[in-house]
Amino acid sequence: MAPISITPWRLVLPAEMKAELFQHLFPGDGDEHGAVILAGVCSSDRGLKLVARELHLAVDGVDYVPGRRGYRMLKGEFIQSRIRRARDLKLAYLAVHNHGGTTSVSFSPDDYASHERGYPTLLDVSRGMPVGALVFAKSAVAGDLWFEGGKRAELKEAIVQGNQREIIWPFPVERAAGSLEKYDRQARLFGDVGQAVLQGQRVGIIGLGGAGSILAELLGRLGVGEFVLVDPDRAELTNLPRLVASRRIDAVISWLPKSLRSRLARYKVLMAARNIRRANPNAKITAFKSNFVFEQVARHFVDCDYLFLAADSMSARLLFNAIVHQYGIPGVQVGAKVPVDAAGNVGEVFCVARPILPGNGCLWCNGLINASRLQDEAISDETRKQYAYVADPQVVAPSVITLNAIACAHAVDDYLFFATGLKNLEAERYWFRWNSRKATVGYDLPRRDFDCTECSVADVSRMGRGDFFGLPTRS
Amino acid sequence: MTAPNANVVKAIDELRACFPDCPLQMTPDGAGGALIEMQAIPLGSPWAQSETWIGFQITYQYPYADVYPHFVRHDLSREDKKPFGPGLGQGHFRGVPAVQISRRSNKLNPATDTATLKLLKVLSWLRSQ
Repeated sequence: MAPISITPWRLVLPAEMKAELFQHLFPGDGDEHGAVILAGVCSSDRGLKLVARELHLAVDGVDYVPGRRGYRMLKGEFIQSRIRRARDLKLAYLAVHNHGGTTSVSFSPDDYASHERGYPTLLDVSRGMPVGALVFAKSAVAGDLWFEGGKRAELKEAIVQGNQREIIWPFPVERAAGSLEKYDRQARLFGDVGQAVLQGQRVGIIGLGGAGSILAELLGRLGVGEFVLVDPDRAELTNLPRLVASRRIDAVISWLPKSLRSRLARYKVLMAARNIRRANPNAKITAFKSNFVFEQVARHFVDCDYLFLAADSMSARLLFNAIVHQYGIPGVQVGAKVPVDAAGNVGEVFCVARPILPGNGCLWCNGLINASRLQDEAISDETRKQYAYVADPQVVAPSVITLNAIACAHAVDDYLFFATGLKNLEAERYWFRWNSRKATVGYDLPRRDFDCTECSVADVSRMGRGDFFGLPTRS
Repeated sequence: MTAPNANVVKAIDELRACFPDCPLQMTPDGAGGALIEMQAIPLGSPWAQSETWIGFQITYQYPYADVYPHFVRHDLSREDKKPFGPGLGQGHFRGVPAVQISRRSNKLNPATDTATLKLLKVLSWLRSQ
């Protein structure tokens, strides 16, 4: 089994799950109630993260009964079926109950005693998947997680993800105050706390071409603290107009011999990193001059706080969609299309920003990942040459910086209001579409297949499965 | 050479189980997928040949990626001598001349649309031409 980090841990909790849980725990009777959460496990350089996948409510008097030693307890049959499910799906098991109070909470001595009595046995059943407990107050949560070998770790924070990003701690935390001078105008709008949130964010940008270049510039200027970037391509003269702050020398080093001039062109990902550093010299940047789909590259994106997809391959869409749902990371796909037929006629010109929130419908459900094109992308050029393909007319689809800018501005603005907690709870979750020729804005409602292999909670689904489920990556 | 990933290995096991009389040879493609060649696939009418080999690639993104095209013996011909219809053409599989069968899947469901099911559909289509 892959090693699991034993560190103070974070819990990612979908807003809908939190709402359902809180309705159960705090119905207004002032009493104690119970549940179980099964969560995917993610270990990274940022420590341990659990991604809540399933909520199992314990019915009072049936599953949650008067305790032999403590006030209440989960019945053995209820625990048994859930711990076996955790074992089979390779998920962490978290027993949940509530206490009174509001902004701080902790386990009682009786709670800890029951952990010490029961969790070593549960760890045997779970075959090494972590086992633990959560206790909630109205605005606080504490957690105690057990690992094989008798190790334990406390919950650091719970991150509730819906339209807003909400953090819940075991007790009130004094947030780092003070903003850097250059962000002062933004800070007045969002407050020092909001600026500190952005500085603490790690965002991933997949694809640093025309759209990705703009995303990097906007996010850098907002003050996002950490970036993970990936793009395999070098700049070319033809795409310089769409790359922010690009120079001719990025694409062609004219003093070199002709054969080397474009071969030593600058990588787009390094150009984006340059722009981010110019905007925010303190930003931490990890840049991969590579294809996103390689296993060792994709792993760097699984503990980002937000993902931006600006690459147009089906392979990138599949992997982005998988990481969003498997690791509970909200993201957005941006794109623009200028369809041109063989006769040179321009069709409907549009751009899109599609927020992908775990559990809210996904790129696969909505038919935006083409299985045949996935196959085409995966085979080598050498193999493809041997195939008897029907030759499609080769029309180069044009790309335009203004379209990219509209989609990216919408996407980054949406991210900003999400991350700082300023987005309305009831804000729309539609997919944004701008049609340039009609000058119309449209909002597409994403569909959601209830047996989707990516975003549903069917057993076959990768939703919330963390490290113990394969990603569609290339070796 | 990078071995096929777990999903591809499962697909190969399913092919072997469904076609026990058709020897299967697997070659890793180096990216986590595999090139598959199966022998002694029954044919018959409307085809002049009684059996063929069949080859195809299961790529690393299986079961999300479609499994196509498929390749059969290069000398495939109809009993009635008519030319091939749509979906059949001349290509190469691993450098060897072959007849290419191009049948893309629409609305692929990764939970149910296995490589075995795809092969069965392709063979059913081939025998129905």
